[in-house]
Amino acid sequence: MKKNKILVSIVGMVLVLALILTGCGQKSTVVKEKYPTKPLNMVIAFSAGGSSDIQARLMQKYWNKYVPEQPWVFNYKAGAGGAIGFGAIAQAEPDGYTLGGLNVPHMILQPMAQGAQFSIDDFAYISQVVTDPQVLAVEKSSQFKTWKEAIDFAKANPNKLKVGIVGTFTGHHMMLLDLKDKTGIEVTQVVYKGAADQNAALLGKEIDLMIGNVNDVMRSMENMSILGIASEKRNDFLPDVPTLKETGLDLVSDIRRGFAVPKGTDPEKVKFLRDSFKKIQEDPEYLADMKKAGQPTDNMSGEEFDKYVHEQQEYNKNLLTKFNLLK
Amino acid sequence: MLEHIIQGFVNSFIPFNFLLIIAGLTGGIIIGALPGLTATMGVALMVPITFAMNPISGLVMLGAIYSGAIYGGSNSAILINTPGTPSSVATTFDGWPMTQKGDAEGALNASLLASAFGGVIGTLFLLFLAAPMAQLALKFGAPEFFWLCIFGLSTIAAMSQGNVVKGLISGALGMTISTIGLDPLEGLPRFTFGSYSLVQGIEVIPAMIGLFSFSQVIILVGSKKKFIAAYKGKKGATLRTAKILWKKTKANLLRSSVIGSFVGILPGAGGEIASIISYNEAKRWDDNKCNFGKGAIEGVVASESANNATIGGSLIPMLTLGIPGSAVAAVIMGALLAHGIQPGFKIFINNADLAYTFIVSLIVVNIAMVFVGSVLIKGTAKVLNVPTSYIGVAIVALSIIGSYAIRNSMVDVMVMIFFGLVGYFGGRIGFDTGAMALGIILGPIVEDNLSRSISLAGAEGSVFKVFFTHPISLLLIILTLVSVLTPMFLSKYRCKKEAGAND
Repeated sequence: MKKNKILVSIVGMVLVLALILTGCGQKSTVVKEKYPTKPLNMVIAFSAGGSSDIQARLMQKYWNKYVPEQPWVFNYKAGAGGAIGFGAIAQAEPDGYTLGGLNVPHMILQPMAQGAQFSIDDFAYISQVVTDPQVLAVEKSSQFKTWKEAIDFAKANPNKLKVGIVGTFTGHHMMLLDLKDKTGIEVTQVVYKGAADQNAALLGKEIDLMIGNVNDVMRSMENMSILGIASEKRNDFLPDVPTLKETGLDLVSDIRRGFAVPKGTDPEKVKFLRDSFKKIQEDPEYLADMKKAGQPTDNMSGEEFDKYVHEQQEYNKNLLTKFNLLK
Repeated sequence: MLEHIIQGFVNSFIPFNFLLIIAGLTGGIIIGALPGLTATMGVALMVPITFAMNPISGLVMLGAIYSGAIYGGSNSAILINTPGTPSSVATTFDGWPMTQKGDAEGALNASLLASAFGGVIGTLFLLFLAAPMAQLALKFGAPEFFWLCIFGLSTIAAMSQGNVVKGLISGALGMTISTIGLDPLEGLPRFTFGSYSLVQGIEVIPAMIGLFSFSQVIILVGSKKKFIAAYKGKKGATLRTAKILWKKTKANLLRSSVIGSFVGILPGAGGEIASIISYNEAKRWDDNKCNFGKGAIEGVVASESANNATIGGSLIPMLTLGIPGSAVAAVIMGALLAHGIQPGFKIFINNADLAYTFIVSLIVVNIAMVFVGSVLIKGTAKVLNVPTSYIGVAIVALSIIGSYAIRNSMVDVMVMIFFGLVGYFGGRIGFDTGAMALGIILGPIVEDNLSRSISLAGAEGSVFKVFFTHPISLLLIILTLVSVLTPMFLSKYRCKKEAGAND
């Protein structure tokens, strides 16, 4: 009797197991996996609390509105001006569960000049979110009332004009090179580690002129005069500042931020991300939040951003070669 | 202005805000006490939480975390000879010897009271003298920063007990290590041996955790001691320490807090420089200077009051000019901007309620810190009752996590272990880990400002002119010379024992 019982229970267990397994098999063929099925890793290449972080957090609020199924998990990989983080995105698994923020021209210049471990072709671009144009600023009581006066001074007194920039092989550096190239002036280049030190130096009159971004100069605006902005059109945050273009200098220089996944990610997933980001970026509440935070919105699709990045690479390569800064 | 100040006090005591102050202090102290977690990290992590509350409450909480974290670093500096934040490096010089002598409680309470005092003084400067001090901050250019750091480095010579040469070599080694990475002027890699992971240079915090903490673990494991130090918790320690401080260290407290407030206003110079300079000044003006480095409570007081005073100082240029005086001030400024508030002088007119409540809340925070801190001390001091075998393991785990947490990189963990070995073996041959840490911290600032001053010389005409003709630079040069030369020539300023050794 006992033996029978054991036999029956074994057979019964095997049957149940078989049914479960076939049931599972059926389940997986009937229901298709809907992306995303787990949280996404959002890699930020700068420190927490900075501009890039704040902007991503704003987007996170709206991602949770449009894609409530899975959240973003922030992963900070700061260092080398962003190169570490960009490299991390490029080298991540292209399974659609790692995405990150990119900054131009940082991501172009770092592989070109500093041996960074990634290239602009390692990414599938999702979209561009921000364009932060460079500006030329002086201290309020400076002798220069227009940027032309500053350039004339520099032409008459070579190497006497002190121009402050943040970092070498950065957007500021490129703009200064572009400026020197287009006007032929010789200036003293003074490099700072961050916008805070640079702003302090301008207000303390250590430098005569500085190249800054809209985001940075907004904070000390009452003590500075912004002489010109290097963009195509006047900027909403600085409506009284003339563009360099309209006053005679064809110079456009800015810092852009966008998002991407590693190259090789399933095109379906890339399309999903591009569509979701498009919804977020066109949401009027998102746009209002961005304005309140002082972030200059400029939406561009993934394909357009890709094209832009490649064009900028050519442009910067030529500029650097002209000044003998590329080995 | 008076009605704003009163309104500020009223706002600070609104139950929600007061709760945030207590919570922020507790969280901040714990974050500061854990080596590897810095004040900047703690404040930055809490910024998104402030989006859900009104800006005033958010700022009050961030201020509480900032103050708590800068004080909290002293706990681990005193108990396990590891600065919890770079601002507490100087606290290890006398805090750790005090623990070894069995007076951990005295050191912990002294640092608590000194921190609170320093914080209040710094805030008073912010409240009443923000405008003139902000203008002073602007007068500091590259050459002035350079000489300020040289002044800071000159303290190495004064600090090293008995063997100045070894101290200077340690400091020089520290500075050399700080050159690994990208050159500040041209952006080209140096000493990276072709490895990309070294391109960002040696991060200060893992190096410090290694030098102090990891090497300490090796020493502890090698020693036969069952506990790190003897400790008996006695009631009323805080009050007793307060009486001692009142009797012995009034001038010290005041002087160190003033130094801290002034150093804090400079962007790029923070708690580390302030605490070192105050420590040195405290030693210079004390009659019992020989006791410094062996467990003098004055040393702990000088270091901790200075580093908390930098908090108020760092907020001065941030609020008045939009230029943050420290990394944490930058994060707080980011929070302000995200709430749509523009820093600048107008903040005192357009957002008067917010500005004054924030400033006044810092005073409330520092007073509350004494109570919150003394409760937490009872907890943290218990560390000394845990046998060294467990503590050693805990420190190793914390060191690894702390180093990794900086930027999620295993390179930092390797750096930490490397410096742990350097600290241990170096310590055996007489190297000064404090001096090396100073070199690593101050090296980049010195080089950055040196190269920038030389660039400026291109426009000003001569290098000599740039370095030796600005008034503030001259003042700092004189201070440095006085600091280095007086012990050599005036026996009054020499530690009696050192005088003997030099003859």
